[in-house]
Amino acid sequence: MTSIPLKAIAFALLRELALALLLLLGVSFVVFAILYAAPGDQFSVLLEGQLPSEEVRAGIRAAMGVAQTWYGQYFSWLLNVLNGNFGTSVRTGQPVAGVLLNASLNTLYLTLGSMFVTLAVAVPIALYSSVRGHLAVISWPLTMLGYLFSALPVFWLGYIAIYISIHGFNFFPLSSSSQTPGQHDWLYTLVPVLVLGLGSGTISEVIRNLREEMSRVMADDYIRTARAKGASVWRHAFKEGLLLPVTEIVASKIPFLLGGAVIVEQIFNWPGMGRMAWQAAQDRDFPVIMGIVLAAAAFVRLGSLIQRMIHIAVNPQGARD
Amino acid sequence: MQNVKTYSQTNIEVGQFSQLPLRQKYAIADLLYVAYGLLIVALVLVSYILGMFDLLPHDPQQIHMDMLLAPPASNGYLLGTDFMGRDILSRLIMGIQAYFLPGLLAISIALTGGVVLGILAGYCDRKTETMITYFTNLVDSFPRLVLILLVIAAFKPDIYYIMVVMGITGVPAVATAIANKIRYLAHKNFIEAAVALGLRTRVIIFKHILWYNCRALLIIQATLGMGEAILLETSLSYLGFGVQEPMPSWGNMVQSGANYFLQGNFWPSTAPALAILFTILGFNLLGDGLNNILEDRRGR
Amino acid sequence: MSAAMTQPLLKIDNLRTYFYARSKQSFVRAVDGVSLEVGQRETVGVVGESGSGKSITAMSVMGLIGAGPGVIGGSIHYASHRVKKNLLEGLENFIDIETENGRVMKVRKNESGWQHASERLMSDLRGKEIAMIFQNPRASLNPYITVGEQITEAVRLHTACKSAKEARERALYWLEQVKMDSPRLRFNAYPSAMSGGMCQRVMIAMALSSEPSLLIADEPTTGLDATIQSKIIELLEELKQDTGISTLLISHDIGVISRLSDRVAVMYGGAVVEYGSAQSVLDINAAIKHPYTAALLASVPSEQKIHEKANLQTIEGDVLDTINVPPGCRFHARCNQVTPEIREKCASHHPELIEVAPGHQMRCWRFVS
Repeated sequence: MTSIPLKAIAFALLRELALALLLLLGVSFVVFAILYAAPGDQFSVLLEGQLPSEEVRAGIRAAMGVAQTWYGQYFSWLLNVLNGNFGTSVRTGQPVAGVLLNASLNTLYLTLGSMFVTLAVAVPIALYSSVRGHLAVISWPLTMLGYLFSALPVFWLGYIAIYISIHGFNFFPLSSSSQTPGQHDWLYTLVPVLVLGLGSGTISEVIRNLREEMSRVMADDYIRTARAKGASVWRHAFKEGLLLPVTEIVASKIPFLLGGAVIVEQIFNWPGMGRMAWQAAQDRDFPVIMGIVLAAAAFVRLGSLIQRMIHIAVNPQGARD
Repeated sequence: MQNVKTYSQTNIEVGQFSQLPLRQKYAIADLLYVAYGLLIVALVLVSYILGMFDLLPHDPQQIHMDMLLAPPASNGYLLGTDFMGRDILSRLIMGIQAYFLPGLLAISIALTGGVVLGILAGYCDRKTETMITYFTNLVDSFPRLVLILLVIAAFKPDIYYIMVVMGITGVPAVATAIANKIRYLAHKNFIEAAVALGLRTRVIIFKHILWYNCRALLIIQATLGMGEAILLETSLSYLGFGVQEPMPSWGNMVQSGANYFLQGNFWPSTAPALAILFTILGFNLLGDGLNNILEDRRGR
Repeated sequence: MSAAMTQPLLKIDNLRTYFYARSKQSFVRAVDGVSLEVGQRETVGVVGESGSGKSITAMSVMGLIGAGPGVIGGSIHYASHRVKKNLLEGLENFIDIETENGRVMKVRKNESGWQHASERLMSDLRGKEIAMIFQNPRASLNPYITVGEQITEAVRLHTACKSAKEARERALYWLEQVKMDSPRLRFNAYPSAMSGGMCQRVMIAMALSSEPSLLIADEPTTGLDATIQSKIIELLEELKQDTGISTLLISHDIGVISRLSDRVAVMYGGAVVEYGSAQSVLDINAAIKHPYTAALLASVPSEQKIHEKANLQTIEGDVLDTINVPPGCRFHARCNQVTPEIREKCASHHPELIEVAPGHQMRCWRFVS
């Protein structure tokens, strides 16, 4: 029905993809820089971990004399990383990549779930108070509640949740992910998701942002035309007032949620990247934490890429910008 | 759902906007936010100074085996004692030491870096702007906590290293805010007019852009940034990095009280958690309230 | 042509729309007792300077006033062959007014009740019976939806054409009617790809495609290039002939008003000051003329004056402050035709709108015997 300039869109998408890759390259460089600057010859430790066997290691140690320049080391490290070789954990001796994959899926589950919770709470509040304007007195207590939740330290919220579920529901939501699958297993996963969703501090910002955007759009001329036309105002305001701002803020809050995940995973013993990161920092297990940082940054950029793609698909002018 | 509004015109001299009393000028909510926020800032400052000079009601490390887990307002311990009989109030006050100076360091770095980059991005050519945008997107790609854990793993868990990282990761927010502001001013031909008037670039940037137009923005970024710094420091010390027992930090206080919490002794964990809550709330409300008052002119 | 023969399509009676300035704690009397009519098949032009209340009058008719207190009094009778109602029916129940010396000093309004009642009254009229087009057409179209889709939306909402295919045909028909070049191509374009003039054509197509009885055009040519303005006026003239639609045309441009209107209402300070046929109102040499209309007409330079390079005629004084409304005639401070006999009356009493000739109304103490 509507003809979208396909060529322009495809071009814009490719451009976004290229940008994302370029940024990931930058991320890898930053990580490498920290690796390189770290005291204690971390690099060799990492490199040794990345190589398959003792003889090869010995051989490479000799050949290392060749690749003494930092960019040489960077490229060899980067090649390894791109091949999926993140080295081996200093603590367990296991290759990082395998464990990381599992853990990242768990964290993905947690992050997506909590994002859903945040939106489920914030979107209705934002819409209600923006569409009603100042007419709704009830919006103020809700806003206040949003602020309170944002300032709440998520670790404390976690304990409250545990306490309530133990004493209120006879429910032990700790480290149940690795147990034998039971009927109500998914319920166990609800608690950390809820905690991260409510406690990550993003609710009040999302509310504020969405409300501003929606109010701004509602005051726009083309909405006035829609009203004069007798058309559904919601249908016209939805794209710019809800869809675009929501995707934008979700994409921008991913780093935040990942940070919160570290704490929530630690409290609930959730086998995700966050808990791994905490463990790794304590053990100075560099390869592990390095892999996690790379994975986390990749998540962030992926989210941003998806958001940009939605933006382009919805907004015909976006293809041209 | 009745919603009755009353509009009345008094016979007062219809005067200028600024002559109206504060209450009518600004939304009352914003004034309350700012008042509360300022109160919190004052409390933090005072507590910092008290802690610095050790002017505490009790010794924060002193164990009183006879007064374990005392509730608030018992026997001269205003906020009660924790599971080792230590005075909670004194520990809370001392806990501010853990984040105050480091937090200031973080926001100074963020503001300085942000201002420099923001001005470069807003004022200079497209190429510079693109480079700076790349840089800000790059920094934004890292989740703060995870990056700090990386730095801890690579170097050492020194709070100052951590706050430097915190400062750097705070640069994008400030830089984009300033760059946007400059773009807005440029769109309004403000900058063109200044140049046409013959003002030197340095004057335009420092006096007109930064001081007149951006100072509200910077204050708000500073308050919000401090709130974030507190959250970060407490999260880190909760996780076990940063200030170590028996030195108190709000985060490690919550952590050590965790087991007792689950057993039903809520207070040792709750007191520092509430302190975190109300302090961060204060900074956030201060930032938001100031934003509404100074920037949006929502006060009509 | 006389609207008195049959019941007028739109009859606005003593409409009052106020706003409230928080910063000054007082009412902004944007529309303060406006009465005018639009008859069947006629175009009524409303002319006045910025701030005279003409746009607000139009928005009040459509029920699009959002700010408070909004419409607080009067009646708007609408009578087409399909619908007959007072658009402000029963709304006074939600409003409580206190006056002092004839001036409104306090308004209590049940916002939600009023809005609900107003919606119930207006929802089947908007777009279907009364359509409105605005100034700044590019900003008034949804940038995220194609132009064709926006027109088909109107068609499907308000006419019997419900299927997508039929609606598309109708939309294309209307695009042709508004003289859009390559309508099939433009159908799938977005507003950002079109010029202001083209967007205004789209808006007109969108408005007319739902086959309304009344078209309200709020400054349709403002913001467009001069040559495009002319084209749009031509288009409106043609459409007027072809469809026989009644129009309430609002503009500050006398040229536009004179080309299109059958009757003209001149507004100043929130009230109609002169109202009659286009010939009598816009005739610069007529004996019966409101001082403001006279000044307005005189300010448009004629060929001869341009040739002579004479100075532009201006109207002395400042735009009326709709907050501090003077007690007497609103134009008094700027009027250059005050005579000593009526000076006191002009300063203290607000004149009524009275008929000075058949079909010609005037609000001025000079014409009250």
